[in-house]
This record gives sequence, structure tokens and C-alpha cells, in this order.
Amino acid sequence: MDSNNSRRSFLTTMSLGLVATGIGAGNAQAFTLKNPGRDKQDPRYIGQKGKRFGMVIDLRKCVGCQACTASCKCENNVPTGQYRTYVSEYEIGVFPNVRKAFLPQLCNHCENPSCVSVCPTGATFKREDGIVVVDDTVCWGCGYCINACPYDKRFFNKLTKVADKCTFCAHRVDKGLLPACVETCVGGARVFGDLNNPNSEISKLLNMFPTNVMKKDQGTNPRVFYIGLNDEISDIPVSEAILDDLAKKIDKTPLAQWSVAYEGGK
Amino acid sequence: MYDLVLNTIDTITPARPWGIDIPNYFWFTGVSVAAFIISSFGNVFGMKSYKPIAGFSLLVAFVLLVAAPLNLIDDLKQPGRISNFFTHGWENFPTSPMKWGVLILVSYFFLLLFNVLIFYREYFVHAYHCTNNKFLKTIFKIASLWRIKLGEAQEQKNHKIGLILSVIGIFFALSVEGYTGYILGATHGVALWHTPLMPILFLASAMVGGTGLLVVILCIFQRFFADFKKIDYDMVDRLMKLLAWFIVIDLTIRFFWLTFAIPFNGEEKYALMRFFKANLTETILIEYILCLLIPMVIGFVSKLRKNLFISLFGAAICSIGVWDFRWNIVIGGQSIGRTTPGLLNYIPDFWGQDSIISALSNWGIFIALLCLVMAIFPWDKEMSKYYKQ
Repeated sequence: MDSNNSRRSFLTTMSLGLVATGIGAGNAQAFTLKNPGRDKQDPRYIGQKGKRFGMVIDLRKCVGCQACTASCKCENNVPTGQYRTYVSEYEIGVFPNVRKAFLPQLCNHCENPSCVSVCPTGATFKREDGIVVVDDTVCWGCGYCINACPYDKRFFNKLTKVADKCTFCAHRVDKGLLPACVETCVGGARVFGDLNNPNSEISKLLNMFPTNVMKKDQGTNPRVFYIGLNDEISDIPVSEAILDDLAKKIDKTPLAQWSVAYEGGK
Repeated sequence: MYDLVLNTIDTITPARPWGIDIPNYFWFTGVSVAAFIISSFGNVFGMKSYKPIAGFSLLVAFVLLVAAPLNLIDDLKQPGRISNFFTHGWENFPTSPMKWGVLILVSYFFLLLFNVLIFYREYFVHAYHCTNNKFLKTIFKIASLWRIKLGEAQEQKNHKIGLILSVIGIFFALSVEGYTGYILGATHGVALWHTPLMPILFLASAMVGGTGLLVVILCIFQRFFADFKKIDYDMVDRLMKLLAWFIVIDLTIRFFWLTFAIPFNGEEKYALMRFFKANLTETILIEYILCLLIPMVIGFVSKLRKNLFISLFGAAICSIGVWDFRWNIVIGGQSIGRTTPGLLNYIPDFWGQDSIISALSNWGIFIALLCLVMAIFPWDKEMSKYYKQ
């Protein structure tokens, strides 16, 4: 009888403790299957119903000026040394038969995003208009999404200390504006719009030109399409060194924890 | 296409999120699982020869599991938001191995805790009856789970509950190691990780590392901290033989993994060839020859394993090798570029979050906890029971 009573009191204490913990956690943010913003139907989290946003990048028009890179950093307050979008510059072939290639890169806002399905807190999710975003108030910084992205288009923001990436400038798009990179593109290489609308410029371009996406075999169905992208640079680039990092090394600037390995490289 | 010469004039170094904490975490959970499974040889499967170390390895498994998640917490960029894991994002439960994995980890912790308390309940009940100190009485009462009765019926009940917990525990132990494999295997963008063999690869190597660690710790504790102060050479011999068989299993799975990934044409082939070419010395000489083949020979050659020094060397080196394997998998996998050129290089910071010091601190916590737990639990009394017979 005695032991039964003490067992009961143990269970009571335990359950009260758990309830108290639950209330504590509940006060901070309610338990949700999805995400607090989506539960509250916050328009920023829901997006524009009936639309499906995407981008076409015409590589024939890209001149590698990095205006998109700069405007993105200004618009989104991206910390120094980090980028949501940038234009990689390559030299293909052997002298004298060489040519330059530019490859603007950003989050592909995939139809089946790997980053979303693995997120253990629901901080990263796809809006109804297909824009993949990160809720920086929920992300706990485990980095699983960064590793799950087959395109290397996510990073830990130095300021917010959570996962960050291109949002297609969702805050601008929701006001009817274009993403900053599109608006600033000097060659008009970036075209943004609603894929569901057959009369949009992006739909017309997709109908008119053959396009390619990055790493098609990953099965994520990217929504950033390229005109003029071929396998030379879209699959596994074989170059070893990244000159930005090489320059850091020569200047004896401290390299980050992760840098490009030069040993045996060109 | 891959013969094409391509020079990168300008791009950025991609970000990689996981550093030294993660291989350390995988190692801790793996060896905990191995120690628990070895403990269950005596506890569940009734293998008498392993009974003397059943309680000891159970405690080792428990301490390793307590120390393991500290690595994860240190790796988080927002550790203060840990509650978000439990309160948000349940819609991703089926597709996020981390989501269900942490739940398995938490369940496994409680299972181990209760397993340990049930295993040593008899001793705590005795201690309860032998002391008059009120504080100690309360402690012993809690440790004996509020059941302070003695007797054969009670002992049988303990045994039955212990057995049930151990059987469930085996399932959870396998799941814990399985989920860590799933975490990596599910990331299809990383050539080194994307294999369905990853969970059993992790389990097999964990058995190797865990057995090795157990040999080392057992010798130290029996020699210096047990009442009888004598190493059980037969047990070391038995564990070394077991270790050799675990290495055979581990090597077999690695053989399937690499022979399937590398020779056949596909994008993975090129990524892996570049990785192994760049890390040939480390992987072949250290990971395979020094840390697996040599301990395997020691384990299989009776003359060698009878020598305590050689056995200890073999056990320690293969445990270190399993750590190296996890390092090579986690860090190596992330070093492979996905859409940018080159292999990345990781040099852990010395100080701060996710640094060498934080990993070493975690080891310090593990050692301190091991000493504390071994001081509290009467593992040597329980162990000496078998040596007297």
C-alpha cells in the first residue's frame, strides 16, 4: 500500500512537472504541426494563391557584371562575404581555344525541395506560390537543410544565425514588384513571373526556347530555368581552385573553417 | 564531358554546416549502441560468458548516450530554440530522419536509464536498508524506483521487467544507429552519403568501435577501480575475437558500398573518385589497414590476442579508426562540391562553438560522467559475483 502511494505520488509529481514544462513551452510558441506563421494564415507565409513563381535566366544575355549580386545584398541585408545569389565565372577549354562562361546561381525554389522535407522544425517551407522561405524566428540552426540542398544554395547567416537563402524577394513580389536581381539585371537576362499564367513573359520564354535546369537527376524539379546551359558547367565542374579563395590565401587573409582545398589542385 | 578543362575565375566557396561535433556525436551514439548490444548478450540472450560485463557495459552505454547529445546542442546555431524541435514542424515527421531520430534518441535514453536502475535495483534496496541517513535513504529510494521490498518474488519481477526493457532497448538501440545512417543517406545531393547501406554501415562500424572501447575501459576499470583489481583476460580474449568478427562484417558492408558506388558510371563515381584520390593515404593506410585490418588480425590470431598489450593496442586503434571513419564520412561528404568546383577543406576552429576544445570538453564530460556513474553504481560488486563462482 505504502509503495503504491509513493508510486502514485511519483507519477503525480512527474506529470505535473511535464505539464508545467508544456505550459512553459506553450507560452513561448504554441505546438504546431506546421509553423506558427502558416497556422495564423499570415499572408507572408501563405503567398499568392493560384500563382506559381519561377525564373528564367538567359545565359546568352548574362555579362557577369554582378549587378544582381550587389542588388541582392543591398535589398536583403546579406552579411559581408555571404551571398544569396552570385554569378560564377568560368574559363572553358585550353588556350587558344577558350571561352568564358557565366552562371548566375540562386535557390532553385524546387517543386520538391529537399530542404523542406528534412527540416525538423518546419522553419523552411514552400509557400502556396512555390517560393521556398525560411522562418528565421523558428529555425534552430541544425544545418540539415544546408546539407540537403543539392545546389549548395543555403548558408548560415552570420547575423541571424539561422539558415538563409534567396527568397525570390518575396517581400517585394507580394507588393507586385520584381525581385531585386531581376530589376537590376543590366542585360535583361533574368526574367521572373508566374508560371501558371500562359501570358506571362516567363511562360512565353519557356514555350519559345529550350531550357535546362541544374542537376535534373536530383528529382527536385527546380523552378529556375536556364537558356543556354549545358552539361559543361552544370554537372560536376572539374576545376580545383576558386580564385577568390586563392586570393585570400595569397593575401594571408584568414580562411573560414571551410575553404577550397588546394593540395593537388591546379 | 569530364575531360573538359574548366577554370573557375570567380565564384564563392559554398557553406558547409557540420563540423567536428557531428562525427563526435555519431561516434558517441554508435559506441553506446554497441555497448548496449554487448550488454544484452548476457542480459537478453543468456550468453553466460558475457554476463560478468552485462552491467558494466550497460553503464558505459548509458554514459555515452548522455554525453552524445551535448555535441548536437553545441553544433546548433540557435541552441536556445531547442524547444522548437518538439513544438513545431510535425508535418515533416515522415520525411525528416532528424525529426523521428531525436525522438528515438530520447526514448532510448529513458529506456537505458530504467534498464540501469532495474539492473541495479537490488543493490540500491540493500543500501537503503543499511543506512540511517535520511538523505541517502531518499536517494536510494529514488534509485530503486520507489520499490524497497526484497525477496525472491521481487527479484523475479525485476528480472522480468529488465528483460522486457532490454528487448525493447535492442530495438531502440538499432534504431538509434539506423537513424543516424538515415540522416546522411537521405541527403541525395552528397555522393558519399547517398546509399541505403548507410544505416547498416554505421551499425557495423559502431559495433567495431564500441567493442574496442569496451575492451579498453574494461581493462582500466578492472585493473584500477574494481575491488578485485584483476583483469579478466578471458573476457578480453572473447571480446577481441568478437571484435575481429565485427570487423569482418564491417569490411564486407564497406566492400558492397564502395564497389557499387565507384566502378559503375554515374555522377557519384566521379565525385567519389575525386574524394578518394585526394584522401587516399588517410583512408587506405589509416582507416583500413591500421585501424581495421591490423586489429582484425590481432583478434583472429590467438597468440596475439593473448598478449594484453597487443590486444589493448588493437582495441584502442580500431575504436579510433571508427572515429576517423565517421570524420571521413561527415567531413569528407561535405567536402565534395555540388555545383561549385573543387574539394573543400575543413580546419576546425580551436576555440569557441563547434571547435576542437568543445569536442574535447565533451570527452571530458564523458570521462567525468563515467567516473561518477561508476562510483555510484556497484558494477564491481555485481561483476565479482560471477568471478567467485
